[in-house]
Parts: sequence; structure tokens; C-alpha cells
Amino acid sequence: MSETEIIQAAPPAPLPNRSAVGWIAWFSLREMARRRRLVSLGLINLLPVLAVLMVRIWLPDKGLTAHLQLMGLSHDMFIPFLIPVVAMAVGASAIGEQIEEGTIVYTWTRPVRRSAIYLGRLLAAQGVATVLLSLSLAMCFLVMVAGNLGVISWEFLKLYLQTFLIIGLGAFAYTALFALMGTVFKKPVLPAILFAFGYEKLVAGIPARVQELSLQFHLQNLVSRPEVVPGDIPGVLATLLNQARPRDPVPSWQSVLVLVVVAALTTVLGMQLLQHKEIEK
Amino acid sequence: MSAGLVVAGQEARITALRVGKWFGEVIAVNNCSLSVGSGVVGLLGANGAGKSTLFKMLAGLIEPSHGEVRVLGARLRDRVGWYRNVGFCPESDALPEWMTGREYLSLMLRLMGLDRAETTRRADAWLERFELVDAANRRLGGYSKGMRQKLKLAQALAHDPEVIFLDEPLNGMDPVSRKGAIDLVGEIGRQGKTVLVSSHILPEIEAMTDQIILMDRGRVLAEGSVAEIRDKIPEHPTTVALVSPDPRALAAFLIGREHVEGVRIDDDQRVVVRTDHAVAFYRALPGWVRDHGLAVTEILTLDDSLEAVFQYLTAR
Repeated sequence: MSETEIIQAAPPAPLPNRSAVGWIAWFSLREMARRRRLVSLGLINLLPVLAVLMVRIWLPDKGLTAHLQLMGLSHDMFIPFLIPVVAMAVGASAIGEQIEEGTIVYTWTRPVRRSAIYLGRLLAAQGVATVLLSLSLAMCFLVMVAGNLGVISWEFLKLYLQTFLIIGLGAFAYTALFALMGTVFKKPVLPAILFAFGYEKLVAGIPARVQELSLQFHLQNLVSRPEVVPGDIPGVLATLLNQARPRDPVPSWQSVLVLVVVAALTTVLGMQLLQHKEIEK
Repeated sequence: MSAGLVVAGQEARITALRVGKWFGEVIAVNNCSLSVGSGVVGLLGANGAGKSTLFKMLAGLIEPSHGEVRVLGARLRDRVGWYRNVGFCPESDALPEWMTGREYLSLMLRLMGLDRAETTRRADAWLERFELVDAANRRLGGYSKGMRQKLKLAQALAHDPEVIFLDEPLNGMDPVSRKGAIDLVGEIGRQGKTVLVSSHILPEIEAMTDQIILMDRGRVLAEGSVAEIRDKIPEHPTTVALVSPDPRALAAFLIGREHVEGVRIDDDQRVVVRTDHAVAFYRALPGWVRDHGLAVTEILTLDDSLEAVFQYLTAR
């Protein structure tokens, strides 16, 4: 059959990236906030609050200062458990679920670059993860200081802010990584669990430089170290806490750099993968 | 050839050149070429014929394993700006369940680059057109299959695209909505836009257009109007009804004649002839009538329909 190709003068432009990312992030945020799994994630995030509550009720005079509690929470609960769990739940599904469901077809047939779609979805997931974890930390703060305003000091507030930033950084890096996994794998949950609770735990526990190959190491490396005053109970606890930390710390800037680079690289890689992704439904 | 498929000198808005797609060892689409201009063209084929895969390739959702597709002269996958002029209604029923109908349609329009006022105006107009105003603020999770189908159609059409892909758009619609959608597709075609619409239900396609592309087992079997396709296959067995004042005499004469496979008299006293070569039969009939004094007052072709052609072409 004969044909004549259309010759176009100027191709229509895609939607500006900022606008496209903004719209997709906004609607994705609302979508993620309405998902049922958010309820179970919210309940899991009550664990540190319960821990602080228990300390206040049953161990009020055992020397577990707010400083120590906060450092212990971030080091032993948020970083090795809560951040990966929350990031996995929202990150792995951020892109992959839409591809699996087939709903991504509607954004793919708009004048929007796929990189903007990826970035919008990822930003929404990172926002949800950060808000969930931050809410948990804020509730811990409220339980710690309720009726005990004396614990609030400049040092304490600084430590709190620092913990927020560490958790935020962890949420960004882990969510970006899990979003990439969700783009690569049809069923990303198993590889994500193997990574978070297999590889990460294994590598973070190996001394010397091998431990630097885990995100957990770098996040824990950023947590402040309590001053050790031998003799008293807090001193003993601080010693124990320090012993549980990475044995070969690296400079903080190095850990921040690693986390930022991991988040950036996985995001760029995810964008590239989505560019070549095909929809089957 | 009438509107729809491209004739010499006409603009080709959708072109596929020897495209193929395989998933592992399964060949979904095999060496298909087509050219579509303005108007409505039906893509007809049984389930699994490769229609949806071809649609996805044309719409830039999947990359052909070989060959090339272009819409409005561009590869949509590389030039996403062209989606401003393209509407796509997928076969899949998936929609973001948490959104309301209005939110969903508004988002689709905003992502087409429309401003807030225009988005609101068009969303309202299309919700009204598809009688979804009452359900507009309900979540899509509670929509019936027919309502979802209407909303999918609305998102494909609301930005007024030049090229529209509708993959099984009438699935799940009630008869009234179906009629409305068929009329709408016809109306859009008459506006000079290009509509490529797929279905595995023959009467649906027949109701929308007589320009068709027949697909089976991943291949384009034929394209053109039903009559054109029919003419290309003279060896296709055809059933012809002859009206005669003396049907018994006519039937007796026709039995055993060349190209006559079978003869019977139906309930309307018509002589129904099954021929293995319609063209030859039609050529011979006047001579038989004249030379043997037969009386034939009317000739009816009973199976010149799309269904007969389709069944013949896809016979396994």
C-alpha cells in the first residue's frame, strides 16, 4: 500500500520536567498515603515509641538518659530495622507496582519523560518514608520530654535534629535502592528482604573495610557516640553501646557522601531502566 | 479505497513497516506492515491474534523486536512530546482505584499540559458526555466495568488528539453506552482524525467502520474494505440465495453444475447455493438462465459479511 510520510516542522515539546515531576509526585503521594499498608507501617513505627514508654514507666531511675535512649533507638532500631522496612514497603512498590498493575500506561502515554515519571514516583515514596519515620521519632521525643522538660537542652535538641537528618538520609538512600529493585524485578520483595536483612547484616558485621560496603554501616557511623564515664551505670551502657558500633569508623563526610552517591546512582539507573521498560498488561 | 487506510498521496498517520514482536519463543506479532490515514480503521482478530501487542508497539509502550513504527511521523517512544496528539485507551481494566473519576480525568488532562481552567472544563464536559457526573466524585474502585471503560475512553479523547488508539473499547459496556460509543467513534472519524480501533467482536467493528485490518496469529491477513477483501478471495466458498417462481426446477438444474458445491431450498422458498468460486458462478449464472429458460428474479449474497470473510481467512 502506498504511503506518504508526514513531515513535521517542529515537534511538540514534552511537559516541562519540573511541572511533570511535581504533578506525578503530588498524586503519587496521595496514592501512597491512602494505601492500606500504611496502617501496618504506622503500627510498626510505634515500636520505638513503646520502647521509650517502657523505659519511662519501668526504668525511670536506671541511668538511661534521653541522650542514650535516642542514640540507642537510632543505632539499634531505626537504622537496622525500621528504615529498611519502611523504605522497602514504599520504595519497592513505587514504580514496580504500577508496571505490574498496568496503570503506568496512562502516564506513559502522556507527553512526560519517563525520567520525570520515575523521579516523581520516587520523591513521593521518599517523602512518605521520611514522614513515617520522622513521626515515630517525634512521638519518641514527646514521650521522653512529657513531664520531664529538664531533659531538653541545646545538646539534646542538636542530637535530635541530627537523628532526624540521619533517618531522612537513610530513608532517601534505601527507598531509592528499593525503587530500583522494584523496577528491575517483577517480584521485588524477596530480593529486597535478602538485601536488607541478609547482605546488609552480614557485611555490616564484618570488621575492617568490608563493612563499608553496607548502607547500615554508614548510617550507624553517623550516629553520635556517647561519652564514656567509667564507673556509673550510664557509663557502662555507653561502653556497651560503643562496643556495638562499627569497629572501624570512617569520617562522617565519607558516610554522607556514600549515602548520597548510592541514592543518586540508583535513581539514575532506575530512570535508565524505566526508559527501556516495556509494559506487558 | 475510502477513508481510513491510506491511498497514494494521502497522509499516513500511523505506519508500521515489517514489525514483529516476540516474547521468548512466542511470536506475538509477525512481520506486520500497515498504513493508516484519517478516518476509522478497525483492527479485527480473535483473542490472542496480536492486536494488543501491535497497539502497544504503535503507541510506543513496547519496542518492536524488528521493524519500525511511526505515529505522525515520529517514534513516540523517543519523542514523548507527540503524545499531546495521541490518545490511547488500553484493553487492560487497570485504573488507579483510590482516585475519583474526576481526579483521574483531571490528572490525565493536566499531564497533557492543559491549564486548570481548561482541565476543569473538559473534565466536566466528558464526564457529562459519558453520563458519569453522578459518579464523578466516587472512587474508581467502586466503578462498574462499563463505567471504567467509559472513563478510559474519556481520558483517551478529552485532550482532542489527532490519532487515537482504542483497544477493545466497548468491552463491558451496556447496549445503550455501546451504541453511544460507536456513534462517537464514527463522529471523531468524520472530523478527519485517525482512529484505530480493535475488537474481536465482528458486529462491533462492522458498526464502526468498513475499513478493516484482519489479524490472525500475529499476522495481518488482509486490509481494506470488507468488499475489497472479499473480492481478493474469489475462491472463498460463498452462499448465494436465488429467488425464483419455480425454485424446485432451478435447484434441480443447479445440482452438479461446475462451481456448485451444494443446493437446498430454504424456508422462504429460495434456492440456496453454496459455490466454491463466487466470481465464476456469477459469471456463469446469466448464461444458464438464458440458455435453459430458468427464472431468477433476485440474487442475494448471504455471507458477504465480515464474519464470513473473517471465518474464511482465519480458518484453521
